[in-house]
Parts: sequence; structure tokens; C-alpha cells
Amino acid sequence: MKSSIIQNITNLILPFIQVFGIYVILFGHLSPGGGFAGGSILGASLILFRFVNGSDVADAKFKYHYLLRFACSALVLYGVMKGYVFASAFLGLHDVIGIGTPGTLLSGGFIMPLNVLVGLVVAITFYFIAVLFEEGELEHADLME
Amino acid sequence: MDIFNIIVLIIMIVGSVAAAASKNLLGSVIIFMVYSLMMAILWQRMNAPDLAITEAAVGAGITSILFIIALRKTKEIRK
Repeated sequence: MKSSIIQNITNLILPFIQVFGIYVILFGHLSPGGGFAGGSILGASLILFRFVNGSDVADAKFKYHYLLRFACSALVLYGVMKGYVFASAFLGLHDVIGIGTPGTLLSGGFIMPLNVLVGLVVAITFYFIAVLFEEGELEHADLME
Repeated sequence: MDIFNIIVLIIMIVGSVAAAASKNLLGSVIIFMVYSLMMAILWQRMNAPDLAITEAAVGAGITSILFIIALRKTKEIRK
């Protein structure tokens, strides 16, 4: 997009959008929100960055293979941790993390790490969906480089 | 149900009919965005702020962006 007003204003407010998304993810177990809502806000901020600054700048900043690696690692880690939570609750094992102090940020056991992983996956997936819509395919998506 | 919820519901009904009946596709997308925002306000009024955040981010943001990209790819609007 060519308009310099939109470019400057968007680059000014983009960090605030991302901080709000991270807040929604981190406080998902205490206040409204959670992994999906915060992740969609983060994904919308990434899409906004790509539309305003052009696809070349966005491709240089967010490389496909790093994003793909992040998303897949988060997905595998989510499966492992969620499976551990289910198994330990079913078998009555000892919880390694503990439940923390109720009402503070570090509480709720595994909920906050799981929210962070879900937010990562959702943000990257929304960004990829927008890129697929825009370009038709994920270019330079080879994992070797 | 108080009067504000009914006003929002009427805006939603009018918006959905207008989005389906509009000839201009970009205008139709923008009316659909308004419909999503009214839906988010209604979720908030019904004490579901979790759904309101998700509706505002997905319904008004990402869905509209995808519609606009589709319109741009089919040359319905210029850049």
C-alpha cells in the first residue's frame, strides 16, 4: 500500500495491538480471552503488517520456515502437555508444576502454557491463511534453507 | 431484554438483508463487517466478553480481510 499516512500510523499502533494480544493470551485463565482470542488478535496484527508494508518486507521479517517450525513445535508440545494433563488427572499422579497462588498470574497449573501454545499456533495459522489467499501458494517455503 | 439490545438486533437484521441485497460487493463486505461488530456488542451485552473478543477479531477482522483479498484477486476493486 502506497499511502504514507496509513504506513506511519499502522507502524505506530502495531506494538500496542500485539501487546494487547499477548495480554489476552497470558491472562486467559483469569480474565476473558484465552489462546484462540489472543492468537487471532496477534494473527490480525501480522496480517496488517504484511498488507501495509508490502509482502517483501513481511517475507524478510517473518520467514516461512521459522514460522512453520514454531507452529509445528508448538503443536507437538501442546499434544504432549495436554496428554500429560489428561493422563495425570486420570491416574492421580503428582502434578509437577503445582497450582500456584490462586488469583495471580502464575496459577492454574498447565492452563497458561497451553494457552500460550494455542495462541502461537492460531496466530501463525491465520497469517498463513492470509498469505495463501493473497499469493495462491506459500513461496520460498522450503525448509532446507 | 432492554431497548438497546433490540436496537442492535434491528441493525443486525437490516444489515444482513442489505449485505445480501447490495449490488456493490465491497459495500456488501463492509456491511457484513458492521453486522459482525453489532454481533460483538450483543455478546458483550449478554455477559459473554470472551465471545465478544473472538467475534471482533475473527468476524470483523480476518473474515473481512479474506473477503477483500478475494475481491482484489477477482479484479472487482482496484488496489
